[in-house]
Amino acid sequence: MATAISSQRHTGSRIKTWWTILKISLEERFVYRGDFALGTLMRFLPIITQIFLWYAIFEASGKNRIEAYTANGVVAYYMLTMISRAFSSMPGLCSGITLLVRDGEIKKYLIQPIDLLGFLLITRIAHKLCYYAIALIPFAFVFYLCRGFFESGWPDVQVLCAYFLSLILGFLLGFFIEASLGLVSFWFLEVTSLIFVYNLLNFFLSGHMFPLDLLPVWASEFVSLLPFQYLAYYPAAIFLGTIPPDQIWQGLAVEACWLVIFIIIARVMLNRGIHRYSGFGG
Amino acid sequence: MPMALIELHNLQKTYRVYQKKEGLRASIKGLFKRTHKDVHAVKGIDLQVEQGEFVAFLGPNGAGKTTTLKLLSGVIHPTSGTASVMGYTPWHRENDYRRRFALVMGQKNQLWWDLPAQESFRLHQQIYGIEPQQFQNTLDELTNLLDLRELLGQPVRELSLGERMKMELTAALLHSPEVLFLDEPTIGLDVVAQHNIQQFLKYYQEKRKITILLTSHYMKDVAALCKRVVIIADGRIQYDGSLSGIIDETTNRKLVTLQFADPLTDQLMNSLKRFGTVVRHEAPRVTLGVTRDDVPAMLTAILDAHDIDDLIVEEPPLEEVIAEVFTRVSESSAVQATEDGNC
Amino acid sequence: MTGYKPSYFNVFLTFARNSLVRDMSFRTNFILQCISTISWTVMNIGFYLIVFQYTDSIGKETGWGRDEFFVFLATTWIINSLVQTFFMPNAQQFSELIRSGNLDFALLKPIDTQFAISFPRVDWAALSNLLMGIILLGYSLFQLTTKPENPLILDWRAILMYPFYIVCGTVIMYSVMIILASTSVWLGRNQTLYNFWFYITNFSRYPMEIYKVGWGMALWVFFTFLVPVLLVVNIPARIMARPLSTMNSQMWQLAGFAIFATLACLFISRRIFVRALKSYRSASS
Repeated sequence: MATAISSQRHTGSRIKTWWTILKISLEERFVYRGDFALGTLMRFLPIITQIFLWYAIFEASGKNRIEAYTANGVVAYYMLTMISRAFSSMPGLCSGITLLVRDGEIKKYLIQPIDLLGFLLITRIAHKLCYYAIALIPFAFVFYLCRGFFESGWPDVQVLCAYFLSLILGFLLGFFIEASLGLVSFWFLEVTSLIFVYNLLNFFLSGHMFPLDLLPVWASEFVSLLPFQYLAYYPAAIFLGTIPPDQIWQGLAVEACWLVIFIIIARVMLNRGIHRYSGFGG
Repeated sequence: MPMALIELHNLQKTYRVYQKKEGLRASIKGLFKRTHKDVHAVKGIDLQVEQGEFVAFLGPNGAGKTTTLKLLSGVIHPTSGTASVMGYTPWHRENDYRRRFALVMGQKNQLWWDLPAQESFRLHQQIYGIEPQQFQNTLDELTNLLDLRELLGQPVRELSLGERMKMELTAALLHSPEVLFLDEPTIGLDVVAQHNIQQFLKYYQEKRKITILLTSHYMKDVAALCKRVVIIADGRIQYDGSLSGIIDETTNRKLVTLQFADPLTDQLMNSLKRFGTVVRHEAPRVTLGVTRDDVPAMLTAILDAHDIDDLIVEEPPLEEVIAEVFTRVSESSAVQATEDGNC
Repeated sequence: MTGYKPSYFNVFLTFARNSLVRDMSFRTNFILQCISTISWTVMNIGFYLIVFQYTDSIGKETGWGRDEFFVFLATTWIINSLVQTFFMPNAQQFSELIRSGNLDFALLKPIDTQFAISFPRVDWAALSNLLMGIILLGYSLFQLTTKPENPLILDWRAILMYPFYIVCGTVIMYSVMIILASTSVWLGRNQTLYNFWFYITNFSRYPMEIYKVGWGMALWVFFTFLVPVLLVVNIPARIMARPLSTMNSQMWQLAGFAIFATLACLFISRRIFVRALKSYRSASS
């Protein structure tokens, strides 16, 4: 057992290590600026096609409300899912882990006194912070331009707090789901198709493709039992007031449970995987 | 005057590279303003190589050897200067030219990673339009020489580094190139694999009388294969001639090792320093580096004054001489870096 | 030896064959990939079935009812699967070759470099989407031709023009992709190539009529005349899904323009590719 002082120093140096990792990965991200600028700009293009598609649908249907949504409401929904996705999507995380395992680079992390999941989480936070830093201005600009689509304006403070909490939980949940998926590569090397299947389910079941309330009742009830909805639909629905205020916290509690479950899964898989890996002698 | 098979005149290549700065603040700045640096990889090379020669390029990392090979393969354009290989200008990349030479790079592989090498070979057959019979004969010959027959059906990713290199060589030689450029073909290989590849290259070159340009860090490769050595450092040719000639031309030192019968006192050591620098000192032996012309006088003086049990006069080892050339060049040339802030 | 020309067709066959050998050595992955591709199309149908629960057509009086739109969707899949089978893996590989400096090997080969980088990999699994596209096309055409009122009568001219415009569309997509991939020479790492590709081609996935309102006209002009991705699916789908007699003169003009656009895209992408090669310098010196 470590004494109080040494454990304190230990945490101190650990924080320093994490800070260094965070800084290095921020630097790495900033080097590829061309990619970055174009990438952020292009992100708004699909929204535009969605606006036109839904206006065409509403126009032809002759209704001004489909389920809970007006035509403007659908656009607002899609814009909000973009924010959810900006938090919960983890491009390259899963395939990155696969490459680490396949190229044997994972040994580096087994030798160094660094926790792999912690390291990946820190670099991911850096990645995201960097993205937000650059994307904030175009995002704010587009949302300002499109403020007309948000017919009910800002939600009240309590709902707003719940909204931000749901975004952060969404980020963590997205991270641990994809990390668990990536760790499968300890057992099967070719997980690219698995990633594809996951992205597919995610796209459809998270509400990224369309508002989940449009599903037939039996289907939307089923989907609400899965963790995917927290990655896109749920934060947006909180913001838009689709979810009654008294049910918000209940939903967030369920989300937190999912998060704990996936943290445990990822941990167990990492430990088992490393055990298996070193068993084979790398 | 007939042209040599390979002729280079004042060939130059300058790269412009983005300079990454240390630190977070600098890299954020890099988003808006980038600093570039001009790297003069090749600063003017003149060279003639005759048909059937086996020439080695020696030089420290970043000296411009690989760049020269890439210029000769037409992969990159020179900044200025001319080159002709078999009458072609490499960077015009004519199909006729590309069917008559090959480039093998020890650090890169062109074979399909997940496929057996024979599938990649068949692809080469199609791309280079090799007659089936000729293809089979060449392949048989090469696989026999390199002892690869059993491995042809195995995915490349499962081969060892040495086996993979042999496969790369085979792929490069399938279309019977007349000129072969080898960029560090033995890098990272163990001694046995290195030796095998040397033996193969020696045999193949002597049999086919093809022209080979080789870069390598291993003196053994060079000593085993090449009669002619070109030392490139700092983007220029520093030496061009025979391997043994390097010593005559670039150093005027000899190593004199003396074994004394008398004890090696400080006084004795001090008196020795008059003649040259002490390279090694393991009592009762002392090795001195002495200017060639001074050797006779020095020996007479020492043999007069002391009892000597044993005496060796020898050339300094090749590696040391070459290392000496490298350091001399790098010390004399100031690092040229022009910085400008270009967006 | 001089005057020899490699048989591009044979080289391509070898490329395709090697890719198949490779795909078959990762059989599980191959099957999974087919399944996931197919589930993607199923989900797509699911989405539009939901949409058509709330409306009869996409846009008012545009003629894109459910079955017409499914012809459109099938056309999208057919073109997409062709692009994904033959070009997508190569474009990604091209960016990677530039980054790693392995483009050197492609430059050494005595065949056209654009050919050598455009075709080496064939993603056979993506062809499953082609199959799904053809099935959906067949199904919705059957629905259209057998519906009780106003059944569609298939016109032999439409049947001839359809595959022709499919090829044109694929070529336009290929050109856009090559242009995007070539930019990795200047932009450095280009991992987001697939994203750019998705965002740009996203506009091609819907009937062009939906853009023709308000400021959408600007988009319509841009993606029809400057980056002609709107023509890719719209022209063949329009020709097939509805009677040729209902094509207005503007549509016919666009159909004519599509041929010009195809050639222009091919030409421009070639120019940009050649420029990119010139700027390429090997990653290691």
